[in-house]
Amino acid sequence: MTTSNMPAISFDRVSLSIANRKIIDDVSFEVSKGEFVCVVGPSGCGKTTLLRMVIGLAQPNDGEVRRFGQPVTGPVRDVAVVFQDYGRALLPWRTAAGNVALALEAAGTPKAERADTIASLLEKVGLRGHGDKYPGQLSGGMQQRVQIARCLAQQPGILLMDEPFGALDAMTRQTLQDEIAEIVAGTGTTVMFVTHDIDEAIYLGDRVVQLDANPGRVAEISDVSLARPRDQISSREAPEFLRLRHVLFAHIERSAHP
Amino acid sequence: MTVWTYRGWLLPLVLLGAAELSIRISGIESLGIALPSDVGRALVQIAGDGTAFIHTWETLAAMLLGLLIGGSVGICLGIFLGLSRLASWTSSLAIELFRPIPPVAIIPIALLIYGFGVRMEAAIIAFTAFWPMLLLTQSAVESVDRQLIEVARVLQLSRLKSVTSIILPAILPRVLTALRLTVGIAFIVAITTEIAVNPLGLGHAMMLAQMELRPSFMYAYVVWLAVLGWVINTGLLLLQKRMFGAMRIEVRR
Amino acid sequence: MRRSPFASLLWYLAPVLFALSIFGLWAVVTELGLVKKIFLPPPVDVFVNLWKGMIEGNLLQLTGATLLRMFYGWVLASAAGIFIGTLIGLSETARAWLTPTLELLRPLPASTLLPIGIALFGLNANMLLAVIAFGAIWPVLLATVDGFRFIEPRLKEVAAILGISRFSFAFKFGLPSAAPDILSGMRLSLTACLIITVIGEIVTAQDGLGTAIILAARSYRSVDLFAGVVLLGAVGFLNNALLSALRRALLPWQKT
Repeated sequence: MTTSNMPAISFDRVSLSIANRKIIDDVSFEVSKGEFVCVVGPSGCGKTTLLRMVIGLAQPNDGEVRRFGQPVTGPVRDVAVVFQDYGRALLPWRTAAGNVALALEAAGTPKAERADTIASLLEKVGLRGHGDKYPGQLSGGMQQRVQIARCLAQQPGILLMDEPFGALDAMTRQTLQDEIAEIVAGTGTTVMFVTHDIDEAIYLGDRVVQLDANPGRVAEISDVSLARPRDQISSREAPEFLRLRHVLFAHIERSAHP
Repeated sequence: MTVWTYRGWLLPLVLLGAAELSIRISGIESLGIALPSDVGRALVQIAGDGTAFIHTWETLAAMLLGLLIGGSVGICLGIFLGLSRLASWTSSLAIELFRPIPPVAIIPIALLIYGFGVRMEAAIIAFTAFWPMLLLTQSAVESVDRQLIEVARVLQLSRLKSVTSIILPAILPRVLTALRLTVGIAFIVAITTEIAVNPLGLGHAMMLAQMELRPSFMYAYVVWLAVLGWVINTGLLLLQKRMFGAMRIEVRR
Repeated sequence: MRRSPFASLLWYLAPVLFALSIFGLWAVVTELGLVKKIFLPPPVDVFVNLWKGMIEGNLLQLTGATLLRMFYGWVLASAAGIFIGTLIGLSETARAWLTPTLELLRPLPASTLLPIGIALFGLNANMLLAVIAFGAIWPVLLATVDGFRFIEPRLKEVAAILGISRFSFAFKFGLPSAAPDILSGMRLSLTACLIITVIGEIVTAQDGLGTAIILAARSYRSVDLFAGVVLLGAVGFLNNALLSALRRALLPWQKT
């Protein structure tokens, strides 16, 4: 297939207006296969809308969004999404295992194989022994792990994450950051990770796309040359980390007080 | 937005038209079937000569009387049970025992005591209305914000004063919702009582039309009842909205 | 706060004592003749008569007839209501076409079906069953439609991303999401069934508890009447217990 050399995700001069208000203005960038790209920006910069365009739940007025070179027409199983509101994205009437099973059922995985796959996925996200609990019986962090496990069960080529850790406390957030980095590193999955937290974006990303708000525009794209695996203490103290942090924050300062 | 938004209203019209046509063409004669146009004429007649309004008043009077008695007793006891853990616990078993008695079981008792008439129907409605008002008021009081009750303590209000100035306003929205539900139930029970035994009101008028073999009038009363039910519910919804609106202004002041 | 053993025993017994004292008051009031026995017979007479009626008379048979009618009607109404409600709830088009018609029928008391049923089919047992089922279908049907209408939008997106078919969506997302509403509808429906059954028996003079109590009232046999009322209360009690058990079994993810 010729698609193998194509970027996993490409935004090609994408614009969107709703009711005569420009939400997204001429955004172009690409995410290569296997790359971890973080999109960061203030609220109102349209970062979630960009993500929904990759899923196929939103369409641009102008320009084109492509996955592996093909224009996006609608949701496909190869694109998994971790939503921020895990409480609403999980089926409350299914156990943790049942929620993961949903993805396997949808993909038509034979019944006999499901149990093992589910067990290993739950193990991978640190939920061993919690498979028979309902989401209502799990903490926020654990519910988000269930959602991640369900996304992994899709064996997606592209994993989209929409502020996945935004609603969690600081400790849980850091743990999950490390876990998602580790899980993704082994699979070669392409990740587009949307966040408003600049530190999180630098810590996780191979590249960081910074957006301006009103309308959403690409302000800056920075390579993150921090070694992997990263570490919550030493990586965050590395000169490269601090340099990027300075660059990104300086831009926010400038756009807030022009 | 467009006419297309209201396409659902076409269906009842089409059904009525189809009924009219098929009855006319087939020439079917039945005591259970009436031409929609005849039903319309009957509706105009019962509305025009005032009979429908007299029967409506009979039904509503029994409903109002019953709701007034059953509802006010229910609310007062509900506040009491909501405030006192001891009282609510002590009465819990008795409530579990007596609440499941269906209102239709009260029909013969009321008949025995009062005979036919408004009082008998009102008694049944009072019994019916008592339970939901009691239980919903109780749970409304129990869910009043603890902070509000602490405010009453801090202000050193008397028991009565704290009920009237703190508890009552706090539960008002939920009591109104309970009242709306209860009125709906009372309407059903009133019509049911009239159809079953009591010779007054809209239910009886409908039953009478059936027994006199005048299906067009029977269906006219069905239409009348549907409209009345809708008006009652919508009216109470509007009232609720207005009162909420008023409350919000008061809070701001 | 610690209570003495006696006080805590009293606390636990309080509901029983209170319930018993209601029956005691009932007994005292009737025995002293404060209320005419013909309006309110003494509780002992009522329960003795109830016992006799069940052992020697046909009270159990009558209750059985009423229960069976109510239950058949309820099962029919629930099955049809859930099925039709699901079809309507799943399709935006069906909803747009049918909602006004359903809203027109919603405020109509179910008992108005009785005169219509009699006019159409005459006084017979099958007519009564049809009226019970048809009258009790609305709470379930409307609750099912509502349940489907208010599925979490995020879950619809999840279903779209996973490529879940319309058919599995109904079973895996729609019905479980609507289940709490459907069960509330089924509770209302069961109450409606009991009401229509009893007054249907009264109006059509079919054998059953409804006819038995109204005949007792008309002939001033108040002891028989109250025995029947106690039995109807027991039926209502069992209905509540049944629904609670059903809720626990079907909605294990919901905390009480």
